[in-house]
Amino acid sequence: MRKLLEFFTGPAQSGNFFRRSMNALPFQVLVCLGATAAVVVAGINEYATNKYLNVGYTPDQPVAFDHSFHAGPDSVLGLDCRYCHNYVEKSGHSNVPSTNTCWNCHSQVKPDSPALALIRRSVETGDAVRWVKVHKVPDYVYFNHAVHVNRGISCVECHGRIDQQVVVGQQKSLNMLFCLECHRNPEQFIRPVDKVTDLAWKAPTPEAQVAQGTKFVHDWKVNPPQSCSGCHR
Amino acid sequence: MSKKVFNHPAPLAGEATGPSYWRSLDERNKTPEFRTRAEREFIDGAATISSLERREFLLLMGASFGLAGLGLAGCREPRNHTLPYSKQPENTIPGVATYYASSFPGELANQALIVETHQHRPTKVEGNPSHKSNGSASSKFAQASVLDLYDPERAQSSQGANGAVLTVAAVRDLLRQLSATAKANGGEGLAFLARPSSSPTRARVVAAVKAVLPKARFVEYTPVSQQRADAVLGARALPDFAKARRVLSLDADFLGSGDGSVEATRAYSSARRADTATEADQMTRLYVVESTFTLTGAAADHRLRAATSHLSGLALLFAAEVFAQTGKGSEAASLRAKVAGLKVDSEWVKECVTDLVKAQGKALIVAGDHLSADAHRAVAIANAALGAAVSYVKVAAPAVGTIADLVTKPAATLIILGGNPGYDAPADVAFAQAVKAAKQVVRLGYHGSAFDETSALVKAAQGTFIAASHYLESWSDGRTVNGTYVPVQPMIEPLFPTLTELDVLAPFAGLTQEPFALVRATFNGLAPDTSDHAFAAWLAEGVLADSQYNTVADSLFAVPANNFKAPELSAKSLEVRIVPSVHAGDGLYANNGWLAEAPDPLSKTAWENVILISPALAKELNVEPEVTFMTSVAGALNRNINQLVDGRLIAKIATLTVGGVTVKGPLFIMPGMADYTVGLQLGFGRTVAGRVATRVAERLQGKVVGNGFSAYPFVTAAEPAARTGVSLALTGESAPIANMQDHWSMEGRDVVREGNADDLKHNENFAKLGIDGHAPAVYGKDENLSAADKARLTPRGNSAYEHPNHGVAPNVAVWKGHEDKFPLLQQWGMSIDLNTCTGCNACVTACQAENNIPVVGRDQVLKGRNMQWIRLDRYFFDGRAQAGSEIPHDPQVTFMGIACQHCETAPCETVCPANATVHDDQGLNTMAYNRCIGTRYCANNCPYKVRRFNFLDYNKRSDGHYYEGPLGPAKLPKDPADLPQMQKNPDVSVRMRGVMEKCTYCVQRIQEAKIQAKVRAKDSAGINVVDGAIQVACQQACPAEAIEFGDITDPQSRVSKAKASTRSYGALTYLNTRPRTTYQAKLRNLNPRMPGAILIPLSRKEMAGREAHAPAHGAAPHGDSSHAQPAAPSHGHSK
Repeated sequence: MRKLLEFFTGPAQSGNFFRRSMNALPFQVLVCLGATAAVVVAGINEYATNKYLNVGYTPDQPVAFDHSFHAGPDSVLGLDCRYCHNYVEKSGHSNVPSTNTCWNCHSQVKPDSPALALIRRSVETGDAVRWVKVHKVPDYVYFNHAVHVNRGISCVECHGRIDQQVVVGQQKSLNMLFCLECHRNPEQFIRPVDKVTDLAWKAPTPEAQVAQGTKFVHDWKVNPPQSCSGCHR
Repeated sequence: MSKKVFNHPAPLAGEATGPSYWRSLDERNKTPEFRTRAEREFIDGAATISSLERREFLLLMGASFGLAGLGLAGCREPRNHTLPYSKQPENTIPGVATYYASSFPGELANQALIVETHQHRPTKVEGNPSHKSNGSASSKFAQASVLDLYDPERAQSSQGANGAVLTVAAVRDLLRQLSATAKANGGEGLAFLARPSSSPTRARVVAAVKAVLPKARFVEYTPVSQQRADAVLGARALPDFAKARRVLSLDADFLGSGDGSVEATRAYSSARRADTATEADQMTRLYVVESTFTLTGAAADHRLRAATSHLSGLALLFAAEVFAQTGKGSEAASLRAKVAGLKVDSEWVKECVTDLVKAQGKALIVAGDHLSADAHRAVAIANAALGAAVSYVKVAAPAVGTIADLVTKPAATLIILGGNPGYDAPADVAFAQAVKAAKQVVRLGYHGSAFDETSALVKAAQGTFIAASHYLESWSDGRTVNGTYVPVQPMIEPLFPTLTELDVLAPFAGLTQEPFALVRATFNGLAPDTSDHAFAAWLAEGVLADSQYNTVADSLFAVPANNFKAPELSAKSLEVRIVPSVHAGDGLYANNGWLAEAPDPLSKTAWENVILISPALAKELNVEPEVTFMTSVAGALNRNINQLVDGRLIAKIATLTVGGVTVKGPLFIMPGMADYTVGLQLGFGRTVAGRVATRVAERLQGKVVGNGFSAYPFVTAAEPAARTGVSLALTGESAPIANMQDHWSMEGRDVVREGNADDLKHNENFAKLGIDGHAPAVYGKDENLSAADKARLTPRGNSAYEHPNHGVAPNVAVWKGHEDKFPLLQQWGMSIDLNTCTGCNACVTACQAENNIPVVGRDQVLKGRNMQWIRLDRYFFDGRAQAGSEIPHDPQVTFMGIACQHCETAPCETVCPANATVHDDQGLNTMAYNRCIGTRYCANNCPYKVRRFNFLDYNKRSDGHYYEGPLGPAKLPKDPADLPQMQKNPDVSVRMRGVMEKCTYCVQRIQEAKIQAKVRAKDSAGINVVDGAIQVACQQACPAEAIEFGDITDPQSRVSKAKASTRSYGALTYLNTRPRTTYQAKLRNLNPRMPGAILIPLSRKEMAGREAHAPAHGAAPHGDSSHAQPAAPSHGHSK
């Protein structure tokens, strides 16, 4: 500081008044800025994206429905996904089952269970059960279930092993990169149409999956859209 | 390397002085105001925030950012709920639209409809293809009717005499009480007033009421009757426009207005379609004699201007000429004697009739319903002499009694069913007195006393108000134009406790049935098979087979009885012609924003009505604006016709007076009007009305000022459609009018191509003339590729830019090396036939309904911010006038619908900094709204000016509160259900402020069709969408079937065939935009013997002048001098 004061107040000096070590300063500044930027980008990438914010979102439901008990071949009941989500092959939306679907069985099975109080009330009053939505894509995304499940894309690809979950949570990020990964490499995910709701199904080896997937893609003329209009309208 | 600058070819001298297309008088006269306007992308003020200064804006923004930080609400998504049905209704699949048949009630005829519902919420209507004569087409009124269902200002409860809310049960009690009282005295002193209806059930119930209460009166009133001719002839004439090859219309706007316009347009257009020499010979020809400019007049091949008050006489004259030429001299002479002294272009009449007579059996004369009884008789006997393509059917006799009877002999109990007689009753019928004189008044209305004149009257008279159901909530029925029996079935439970007309009438007939049961009983009386199965089939299909009207013999019509005396017309003694407006009809649709904002096809005015005057009258009365000094090419003085100031049309205000009654409104000089006819449109100037029908600024101050002015003071019981002896005076005031005339001008380039029918034989290339003949899309070495390959590969030609290539394997690794097996994607394209388009606006409204396009309001339209994706350009074309001289009197008109052209090499895409608008692999120019940051560069770079920007939150805020942003109210007051939101199409994003939007080719429908194809294909390869599976909204609604859409790589698809037509051309293709939307040139079916016939379409002559070596055929038109000018050197293009 004293030196600097001297520089301004003192008589004019000749020669270089910067120290030699100052030569490294621009480099140091750049490195610091770069490091800061890298940390910020990495931070946003990690913490401000769907993957961090939404994966693992497991809200409590008004009725504690246990998928691992009801659904899938390994479960106690062994129901197919489509017993409850019965319009998934026909509609863009995969419907949350109406109360009467529950009541088909539960009018006989444990009809008086306190866990089913809300279901009973819904049956009696006609009011909807307020299920909490778990998987949600933004409003400007028009995802269509029917076209996926009819063309060999399993529920498991987006929803994970629902058949092993007691309380359903979001397992995949469902961001645009997630969608595109499959739309660009469908052969790695596509499976026989009759295995779509078999969440445990897997090709014997990854190589077998690719070989079989490639055949399906070629035979079924699969060309998943990668243009904006495929999903945004 | 410097970028090559492309200069648009400058207009040549010959172009500027010679005939040219123009869309407004300002454009035509090239006023400096217009030029400024044309050179700017948005009109003055369109891109600024008017009510806030910049500093204030920043202050507010700072505050809102500060507030935003407090909540930290954005970190996680809010908790969302899914509410499934408790008990799943049958046939309802969440996310899949369900379609039901119904019909749009009319006074003369219903329109058969298919209604799209999403989880039982009707969102869109389409024509019912089971009803062959309208196919999938529908009118703009039917399209817009679904918005009325969700009108937040509709009456939401019934009200008793003391203003207390009445339940439905209380209303029913009251009706039972009233009917019991009436029954006791046989209906003495009881009167019903209703609009006419085509419903057989209503007719049946009314007949039952009359049987039970013989002394009760049932009066029907509508301000714009369509049944006067029926009453005169004792039968209804059903002209067959599909069969007719020569049509003469006498002031009948059969293409533009009336309940049968959809069917008429479809039939007429089917006879108009021509692509080969043979078809050109069979093409129909339309002669029109009319006073105001109508859509029918715009479609005419030969048009004669005549005053409405002379037309009744002219009808006799035409009939006389028909008789004279068919060898019935004595009849001709007696008819001629009746119209002695009527001045008319007799050569026109003679040649026109000669042509009609030549087409014996396929000729047809139609007369406007407002013409005199004698005129209708004359036309009927002339048609008989011509063996015309018209059949006569027996219809129910109209109700006896008129609305005037209710005033002269007031009823003790008056029951008003629908309509709005408090507003639309004739001026000489003091309807308010009929209400006041009644001891008890019951009013069934759609709008309550705050938004409806009649309901307000009834409230003042301590009457009872019953809230009415919308037709999409009601059971009823009706007949279409040809008599086919169609249902009106409810799509949704009534949103509010409302009742229908049948609910109110039935108790008086002693009927206790609900409307459903009443309809069922009518069906049993009409259908051959009355089983439940047949009834269900009728409801499912929407039409009852073989239920058309029975035809009657047509030889029994009386001859005209009276002599016709033509009133003298002059600038001092004018005639007014009063027609329903295209926006509000006769006032019935006044609270419908889609209709209010859809511009009048000819005047291009939205949100209000104007006083249309002829150029001749403007000159004679000296109401033309002052002469302004400006340099036109000819160096002449020009008139600043409509005083375009800052891009806004400033109109002079004038008063019209007849018999001491005065009407005041803005003047609009309309070429093509009869000299001394003044055009007025009904439906405006409401005194008690909702938000759409009234001005915003005044409403915010608590006052009610209707948009436009009311023409009803001129409507009298005797003369509802035209008055004579009217004087016009200027007030010296002026006001801006919401006119879309100059919006997004294309500066007179050769976008419209025309030819004569003969050109299909001689000049195969007439649609490809103009600059495109020399500078077509640059395909370079790939010129010889097939149309399909050009679409797929979009070869770069000489362009430096990368072009999208849809012909290679997709960006999917697994297809690499297997390109030969790759399923080439279908490529979408559109073709619009200018020849059949009549400019009816159905496409504009259908697009608005399908694509969640917001209504912006009059103030925003004045700023040029209207949002409709389809701009229906109206080009005036006149061969006989020089630019800078008088305003032409007899322009030709061409309509051209312009929406996004989906250019293969789209100029908008290259300038978007956010990559928000890019191509998809099927050739669509897509908009990713969530990427758009609102730079508006794309709109600037679009040569077609089809992009629309959401300057404000039109979908979220209501008109009048746009500028308050988040501080303003988000919803309308008294709108608990946020009704308008229920109309939105769930398959289309609702756009927010700051986002650009435009035609998407109805991408939601394309995707739906593709998804359905794939869902059906499952593990097979059949994923192609079959031709016709995708119908875009405008195509589906188009009554003229002018729009084709489909796969342009399939040579067998309808759109490919249309594009292969000799008439096919693209607009502005010399820019190498390669639009996917192409047009088919308009054909004029010329009769060269007619006086004033224009032998060569002047557009082509103009092109011939510009490009010296382009061929020109035929003789020069009358009175045109442009052909004498030397050919200009070719310019601006290179090969």
